[in-house]
Amino acid sequence: MAALLSMDSLTGGYGDADILHSVSLHVLDREIVVIVGPNGAGKSTAMKAVFGLLRIRGGSTTFDGDNITGWSPNRIVQRGICYVPQVDNIFREMTIHENLEMGAFLKKGDLTAAYDRVYELFPDLKERRKVLAGSLSGGQRQMVAMGRALMLDPKLLLLDEPTAGLSPKYMEQIFQICRDVRDTGVAILLVEQHAKQALAFADRGYVLAAGQNRHEGTGAELLSNREIAEMFLGG
Amino acid sequence: MEWIGLLNYALFMGIFIGIYALLALGLNIQWGFAGLFNAGIAGFFAVGAYTSAILTSAPADGRIGGYDLPFVIGWIAAMVAAAAIAWPIGKICLRFRSDYLAIATIGVAEIIRLVIKSEETLTNSARGIAGLPRPFGEWPYVESQAAFLVLVAAIVLVVYLLVERQFNSPWGRMMRAIRDNELAARAMGKDVEYRRLEAFIFGAAIMGLGGALFAHFNRSITPEAIDPMVATFLVWIMLILGGSGNNRGAILGAAVVWTIWSVSEIATDQLPHEYAVKAKYIRLFLIGLLLQLVLRFRSEGLLPEPLRGDQGNSGIDRERSVQS
Amino acid sequence: MGLLEFINFYLIPGIVLGSIYALGAVGITLIFAILRYAHLAHGDLATLGAFIALAIVTSAGISPLAALPFAIVATAVVAVGIDKVFYEHLRERPKIITVIASLGIALMIRAVVQVIWGVDSESYVRGISRPDVYFGLRIRDREIFTVLAMLGLVGALYVFLKQSKWGKAMRAMSDNPNLALLSGIDNRVVIMLTWIIAGGLCAAAGVFLGINTEIKSMMGWHMLLPMFAAAILGGVGRVEGAVLGGLIVGITEELSVLILPGEYKAAMAFVILLFMLLVRPTGILRGKVL
Repeated sequence: MAALLSMDSLTGGYGDADILHSVSLHVLDREIVVIVGPNGAGKSTAMKAVFGLLRIRGGSTTFDGDNITGWSPNRIVQRGICYVPQVDNIFREMTIHENLEMGAFLKKGDLTAAYDRVYELFPDLKERRKVLAGSLSGGQRQMVAMGRALMLDPKLLLLDEPTAGLSPKYMEQIFQICRDVRDTGVAILLVEQHAKQALAFADRGYVLAAGQNRHEGTGAELLSNREIAEMFLGG
Repeated sequence: MEWIGLLNYALFMGIFIGIYALLALGLNIQWGFAGLFNAGIAGFFAVGAYTSAILTSAPADGRIGGYDLPFVIGWIAAMVAAAAIAWPIGKICLRFRSDYLAIATIGVAEIIRLVIKSEETLTNSARGIAGLPRPFGEWPYVESQAAFLVLVAAIVLVVYLLVERQFNSPWGRMMRAIRDNELAARAMGKDVEYRRLEAFIFGAAIMGLGGALFAHFNRSITPEAIDPMVATFLVWIMLILGGSGNNRGAILGAAVVWTIWSVSEIATDQLPHEYAVKAKYIRLFLIGLLLQLVLRFRSEGLLPEPLRGDQGNSGIDRERSVQS
Repeated sequence: MGLLEFINFYLIPGIVLGSIYALGAVGITLIFAILRYAHLAHGDLATLGAFIALAIVTSAGISPLAALPFAIVATAVVAVGIDKVFYEHLRERPKIITVIASLGIALMIRAVVQVIWGVDSESYVRGISRPDVYFGLRIRDREIFTVLAMLGLVGALYVFLKQSKWGKAMRAMSDNPNLALLSGIDNRVVIMLTWIIAGGLCAAAGVFLGINTEIKSMMGWHMLLPMFAAAILGGVGRVEGAVLGGLIVGITEELSVLILPGEYKAAMAFVILLFMLLVRPTGILRGKVL
């Protein structure tokens, strides 16, 4: 099966210095893939590279048959990839419903179906649709952020540390939502600090270190690798 | 014009360039080195002028002051008074982005203007204060002008050397660190607000000194002697054109802008009265346009800020402190 | 002092003046929140609007209120033009550079006004307007129009921001610019809308100041400080806060003559500004602090 997203030997950084050195990864259709690694490994940077937020100096990214290397974020959004940043990922002074509406800003026509889909995934949000997003708890904010990104019916969702700062209970909930989202036909690529839990939940994982690929495999494979356990996962 | 007239004009212009160079140096401390936006330069200038005038003028009825003190004391007091006005404003506004300081300094200048116009017992209102002692004032005219120019030039030189030394000291390095990367400076435990306050007060004191020199040169000061908006703006264009962050640039900018300003005034004054009035505003328009062009096409100015080894880039465009 | 005297000589003039400040402050608060800088040419843009209306009133022989819509459109066009020609190129630079540029624009606009219309005071209509008395309240027609027009214009803006797609996009850009861009909101359209609204409201502020007092080249510059004080008092980014702030500043200025010499009326805005920065920089309605 051809990969939905495939990043091929990508090299690049924000300014003149490269942060990623020939990083390769791919995501299949309806797959949950996690990127883990120590701090400063370039995990979030790799994800931003997909979304066109990086200066690329080598390699290419292909999505759904198109070479999207060097595309603007705007064009990538319209092509079917949505991105949820780690911080500041909601409009605090707007209601939940307005947050979703902004997520669908580029969409023409009736939004009812898109709203229904998101509210079905997040029933909590439906009840509070008129509430200001800034007044919600951390877990609910993450739901709003994901809901906003899902309004354009993306084929691939990029999540940058969706569970950062959340309690274990919410972490489990976010992972469950990821599975639910996947079941609606969306592939997910996420970056995680909580490597152990994330690898246990994802289909496949990549371990990055110092801006380079270190290991890859299914979650179970990576978890059973002693080197990984010692180096990145704290035993 | 015969040569003596030209000489007189040159001396006159030189003195004004010197006074504006002081204002530009003062602004350079605030903006060029600390990133602080002072839009009320004329206010600090006026405080200096009036403080010295009140202290050094002869006693007069119905007015506070007239202490007949030597001009040196007046000039020192002018610096102290301008600094004392700057202190509370800086204290309140320097916690925020410089936009707030810009607004507040516009307000300070406005209030100082109101006080000067309405507090008769302090400033003699519209008539102003006259009869100020002028250094070398008793000399023959041309010699007196020349001596005053030498005095102004000497003061500019001393201020320039002091400021330059300060910038190359650890204090200057710290200021630049704060200006270019406030968060990092804060993280290193620098007291950002206190340092900025120092720069703001220091700059204001020099502006006050400029005001005192102006008043004593004219032997008088009136509310109409200086148009607040025009004066403030001229100093800004002097510094930005000359090169913010560069003290020599500040002085060069003062010379270039004042020469253009004053020569163009002579030129337009030859026009019939009706056009001469309009020409003044056209000159203002053009000087505003000049600022836009410099900001867009040569924001580092004629003399860019010298690299001092502790910084990577120069000119006006360094990432200014951003608090959000 | 009796209640009626208080209302007639302090409260009503304060509300009228406050409504004029509010019109300007709303634009200032939008620019502050969306473009993220203090626009120092705002007052002089209001002056320009007042003089454009004067030109229409004298040439077409219509009332200033009838000229108002034209002045609003013309000033909005000028505001967008200034942004395109002067501010747009500075957008990627530190915001304070645009603040400097706007100080220069203030001077340029004023110079244009002074060249075309001179520096003397003008007025839209000759003669004295006598107030009508309603139950002991002395109110002039022009004062009613001023307050109603302010409520109408700001009310329409409020509905636009709350209900329309692009109004929401403006709020989104003010709220979280990065996320707004990630959502595909076109920054250029939002910025143009902001200038159209701010410019139009500026013209209204200038025209109503002209209707209630006189028209002169420095009128707008003297409104700048009260307008900023109103925007910060209400909370930067809060339209309803700017209205509230404008009214408070206007009423405070009128009341200040009870304890201060009249010359210092203009200082009240400054006092309010410093007081707010000292005790509550987010303003009454919790706005942004840049």
